[in-house]
Amino acid sequence: MHHFVPDFDTDDDYVNNNHNSSSSSLNLPRKSIMGEDDDLMELLWQNGQVVVQNQRLHNNNNTKKPSSSSSPTKLLQAPIPPSMDNHHQQQQPSTDQNLFIQEDEMTSWLHYPLRDDDFCSDLLFSAATSTPPCATSQVVTAVRPPVPPSNESRPPVRNFMNFSRLRGDFNNGRGESGPKTIVRESTQVSPSATPSSAAASESGLTRGTDGTESSTGLNRKGKAVAMTMAPAIEITGTSSSVVSKSEIEPEKTNVDDKKRKEREATTEEAECRSEETKQARGSTTSTKRSRAAEVHNLSERKRRDRINERMKALQELIPRCNKSDKASMLDEAIEYMKSLQLQIQVMSMGCGMMPMMYPGMQQYMPHMAMGMGMNQPLPPPSFMPFPNMLAAQRPLPTQTQMGGSTPQYPVHASDPSRVFVPNQQYDPTSGQPPQYPGYMDPYQQFRGLHLTQPPQFQNQATSYPSSSRVSSSKESEDQGNQTTG
Amino acid sequence: MSSSRRSRQASTSSRISDDQITDLISKLRQSIPEIRQNRRSNTVSASKVLQETCNYIRNLNKEADDLSDRLTQLLESIDPNSPQAAVIRSLING
Repeated sequence: MHHFVPDFDTDDDYVNNNHNSSSSSLNLPRKSIMGEDDDLMELLWQNGQVVVQNQRLHNNNNTKKPSSSSSPTKLLQAPIPPSMDNHHQQQQPSTDQNLFIQEDEMTSWLHYPLRDDDFCSDLLFSAATSTPPCATSQVVTAVRPPVPPSNESRPPVRNFMNFSRLRGDFNNGRGESGPKTIVRESTQVSPSATPSSAAASESGLTRGTDGTESSTGLNRKGKAVAMTMAPAIEITGTSSSVVSKSEIEPEKTNVDDKKRKEREATTEEAECRSEETKQARGSTTSTKRSRAAEVHNLSERKRRDRINERMKALQELIPRCNKSDKASMLDEAIEYMKSLQLQIQVMSMGCGMMPMMYPGMQQYMPHMAMGMGMNQPLPPPSFMPFPNMLAAQRPLPTQTQMGGSTPQYPVHASDPSRVFVPNQQYDPTSGQPPQYPGYMDPYQQFRGLHLTQPPQFQNQATSYPSSSRVSSSKESEDQGNQTTG
Repeated sequence: MSSSRRSRQASTSSRISDDQITDLISKLRQSIPEIRQNRRSNTVSASKVLQETCNYIRNLNKEADDLSDRLTQLLESIDPNSPQAAVIRSLING
């Protein structure tokens, strides 16, 4: 930092502030900045969080630089109005969160395509952009494949497809005008990186745009840019990449194919991204497109595999889940979770109450329990699948036998029925005359066959043996208990 | 339901996905505070949601088990024939 301001010997803070806040009048040697940019860029690259600050700094610093194609950090050059900076800052926290979250999902992808930071740094330099604000732009440039260094232009490009896509999200997490910047940069890169780089950046951008819808305004802009390549190019306008513009336009058609594929994959992000990627490609369109498609398919497959894996895990967690259909399984999972929550709530309340219990207390328990979650007068249609339970309130539901094969959970969640059954029906706690046996429990099948304790649930009436689902024999037991109790 | 979904799938794959995604999202909104705070609905990733759901359910199960253990202990400390005991038993069992 210090080297930037040879003149500001006295006040370091001022100097630093100067750097960060104003893009202006730095008479600093560009080279030093550039050198530092390299380092900084790499740092930024490795640590997304850091990016923002440095980017701003760089952007400010870079604005002075001539926008020649060869000059590094073109992306950074875009003059960043102070408002933008503030905007960046504001969005930082929210985007950061998104960033973190997205990172989890993308870790596999991230590690997969890209290993070399140098690669990224080269991109930065190769990017000839003057683009606009966007702190993320720096990162984006890093993302772009360094076509020029391009001895490996092919493989890097391919990697970049995923990478840029990922980075796009990544960037967007931070992201304000990231997407927009990326697109512009890609277009402008033309001379050096041109198609591949542009494509990558664009793809990243598009991804970014889709990814960070939270960062509203910028995203919209980004999307708009992504959608319309040509206009975007013009808008970005700054530097030299007229060539890139021309290249981009013809590629639009290519993008469409890819777009279709991505849509099917149900990845919102992919659509724009793919388009741009294709467009940017330019020269070896067919080969690059196919490669990109390959990569895309691979990443999509990986993503789907992860999701399926998680679905299986969830299915295992849910007792009595015999549904092969994802949606219904998810529904069951939701219900199960609700019932678990309710049960825990009741039990915790009971635990708290216990030490203070006295004979008169029991009257309160059921009321409290009843009041807890069960204000719904009618069982929701979702409980249709368990008609037996509702109907079988008095006589113990025969369905208890269904639970034969279920895993045993010592305490199974509060019944979902508890939630939906009218208060009057709920009566897990004994002591109340109007106890309904039907402690209706759609999930009773989940609970226990194991019955840690005999279902002496209540002394009264038709004790609903929550655990008695196991067999109808329980009924007799309960009744017996009731009489004795 | 599965058949209907299948037919729907044939016609429009997106519909099924949308329904599933809607399920996931509603689940998120209702139950998992972590996701609710951190993620906007649009940026939710299915795998992440599922993962959080599994973790959450595991946590709930564990918590329920712990509570039942506590209740059991309480039950032992009081008169088994008292109404309180019955209450506790009911809580544990159900």
